[in-house]
Amino acid sequence: MAVKADLGVLIVANLKVVFFASLRETMKCDELELPVEGTLTVRQLKEKLAEQLQQPLLLEEKVKAAIDFDFARDEDLIEPDKVREVAFFPPVTGG
Amino acid sequence: MISVQEQDFNVQELYESLCVAHKTGAVAMFVGRVRDFSDDPAQSSFVLEHYPGMTEHNLNKIVAEANQRWTLLDVKVVHRVGKLSVDDQIVFVGVSSAHRAEAFAACDFIMDYLKSRAAFWKKEITPEREEWVEAKESDEASLERWND
Repeated sequence: MAVKADLGVLIVANLKVVFFASLRETMKCDELELPVEGTLTVRQLKEKLAEQLQQPLLLEEKVKAAIDFDFARDEDLIEPDKVREVAFFPPVTGG
Repeated sequence: MISVQEQDFNVQELYESLCVAHKTGAVAMFVGRVRDFSDDPAQSSFVLEHYPGMTEHNLNKIVAEANQRWTLLDVKVVHRVGKLSVDDQIVFVGVSSAHRAEAFAACDFIMDYLKSRAAFWKKEITPEREEWVEAKESDEASLERWND
């Protein structure tokens, strides 16, 4: 019996993640692509990255996030097919 | 006009570009500079990193918000990035309007939000050390002044 191709197929999208300033230096990485299976929260992405890169520092409260240039909170949703990039960085110090 | 650039800026030229003939009654300007942060100013420098795209995006949002709050004629924001030395200019915020109250308030507002919402990071460099500047809690607290 034929099985419909769209059933049970896991949609995996590549999510672009970028790091800045002290976080970029600590992570020893300025940019990476992470395969994700559907929508996840900023917090879930942090946890996934922290585990994968062995960097618990990412889970610290002071680490800020942005989704497509807008500041994001831990509970904000990332829809991989609609998001261009997610950024993580320390609190800003311009001016 | 918003510009993120490595090169220095000329305050006189920016001032003149803010003035609208027959309409401008007030121009408020702020210039941020690198002050001495070590025992040896000649050997000290800053590196300013930014997040290209996000920086401009958020500065545009801040200026749009200022234009919503006050009646302004023109706004110019210039922020330098890259290597800067003691006594260099870092940032310019200029606002023109018909009356001084709007110009003063909008300039103060933009600078406050720039400090806490624009994606720039400073690293201090001396012969002995390189250190990322920590954000000040007072900068975030300063934004509360603008809550309606």
